[in-house]
Amino acid sequence: MIDLLIAELKRTWIQFIRYPAEVIAGLVIITSVFYGLFLSAQYMAGPNFAFGDRLDAVVVGYVLWTLTLYIINDIAIGLQSESQTGTLEQVFLSPLGAPRVFFARAIASLALRLSLIVIIIAILTGITGSQLAFPPVLALPMLSLVMAGYGLAFIMGACALIFKRVQQILGVFQFVLLFLLAAPVEEWNGPIEILRYLLPMLPSTGLLRDVMARGIDLNWGDFGWAFLNGVAYLAVGLLVFAWAERTAKHNGSLGGY
Amino acid sequence: MQLVNDLVSTQNLDNTAGQRAIVLSAQGLVKGYGRGKRRFEAVQGVSLTLHQGSVLAFLGPNGAGKTTTIKMIAGLVRPDAGWVEIAGQNPHRQVAALRQVGAVLEGNRNLYWRLTAEENLEYFGVLRRVPRRLAQRRGAELLAQFGLADKRQTPVQKLSRGMQQKLAIAVSLIHDPQLLLLDEPTLGLDVEASQTVKALVKEIAAEGRAVLLTTHQLDVAEELSDRVAIIRQGRIITEEPTQALIRQFSGSTYRLEVDGLLTPAQQQAIAAFGGTVNGSIVHFSGSPTSLYDLLNVLRPLPLVSVARDRADLTQVFLKLMQDPADIRHD
Repeated sequence: MIDLLIAELKRTWIQFIRYPAEVIAGLVIITSVFYGLFLSAQYMAGPNFAFGDRLDAVVVGYVLWTLTLYIINDIAIGLQSESQTGTLEQVFLSPLGAPRVFFARAIASLALRLSLIVIIIAILTGITGSQLAFPPVLALPMLSLVMAGYGLAFIMGACALIFKRVQQILGVFQFVLLFLLAAPVEEWNGPIEILRYLLPMLPSTGLLRDVMARGIDLNWGDFGWAFLNGVAYLAVGLLVFAWAERTAKHNGSLGGY
Repeated sequence: MQLVNDLVSTQNLDNTAGQRAIVLSAQGLVKGYGRGKRRFEAVQGVSLTLHQGSVLAFLGPNGAGKTTTIKMIAGLVRPDAGWVEIAGQNPHRQVAALRQVGAVLEGNRNLYWRLTAEENLEYFGVLRRVPRRLAQRRGAELLAQFGLADKRQTPVQKLSRGMQQKLAIAVSLIHDPQLLLLDEPTLGLDVEASQTVKALVKEIAAEGRAVLLTTHQLDVAEELSDRVAIIRQGRIITEEPTQALIRQFSGSTYRLEVDGLLTPAQQQAIAAFGGTVNGSIVHFSGSPTSLYDLLNVLRPLPLVSVARDRADLTQVFLKLMQDPADIRHD
């Protein structure tokens, strides 16, 4: 598994870096989109409005948004592009089994993405003067968020294996994702409070907002729920993916596009 | 005499195959797509067996079921009925069976275009459970064997079509599999590249691997294969040693050319054997034994050539495709 992980990290990195102009353009685009977002928020609020921790929340929200959007699209888009370029069937010929290969790919791709995000955050905090709190404990709700995110990514990957063209579903899913990330779950009371723990990623995003933007200490009880939520969605995602692989093999549509 | 020799050599071939270990055994494979009125039976009861070191040419027109069969063997399409065993393991139940399969699939690039030749070999080696260092070493050996050592650091997209195909075959061998599946390996290649790929396939079989080859280029199939299986409308209509199949469809007419003119007495004797004379060319239909009697008649004229009309695989294939009576249901 270590060899596979190293091989996937190497492959992901080489494919990313082989054309440096593409890399720089990507970084510039993502950073400028955020800067534009920040400027328009400032314009609407007026220059004298004290952003305080609200601006931090914008940064956190944007970073989470780009990361989760990337994660959720990651597997489905990878599958689609590989079925177009004709390498997908070779991947399914691996004696390691497809779920394990795609899991290693997810880790490699996440490592690359997180490195990019660190660079983008450094640029953004430099431009906006926003100070974000980065306590080491932040890694925990990030982990549970990423696990749940990849659970959804494997489900989207399963859709790509069976339905082939999933751009429309991915498009619609952006709105669902916006809800999952922006819903003020911390304020939910009564019977709907249970949804805080059941919907994917929700317990993790609340915790991240607390720790990153509001500077509140990590609530270990809530983290327990967030972790369970992450593990459960990841397990469901892998199971659905394995089922989709069997179904695609039955339909004879594994490599088709 | 010739017929006896033919029979003996066919038996030898079969005996040799019988002594070698079975690498692939596919029995009664069935696959249909769609439902109801749209149901289409792509493969209907196909059985194939391949021994170590043998090359089976799997031929058939477009849509006959070749690719579906190959994908069922590779574990990429699940059969509705029947089973596959590669070196004793079923790829649909034991994913480890794929350790013994290498495949170059038609219409696919089979390689990562942004990666160099050696990066592809290392990556696919690890994907096939070869330790990384071993994959690097074996990759270098394969690049040397395939004449690509000087291109090891070139991204695949900058290689010629022939080189890409050679690299795809090298990648399919990185984990030292016992079975190699080649779907149209010479398609779209120029003459030189095609010759190189053919030589490589021969080398690969000589190493003791079993090769299952599909191609529309029947001269390639004839040159490379020990056996031929022809599939039509999802059924195997014939499966025989290549040379035996060709002999079966070859005529028993001989064409003899002599240096000089035949005397009237010789011409009469030839006519008595049922032969015809046209200048210095003699056509003769008969048994191999009576051919020697005819040669005595031609004495003492020098012989320029003696040739038997021989069918090629293209003629065999076309005859089998045209004549439904030849269908052998298995």
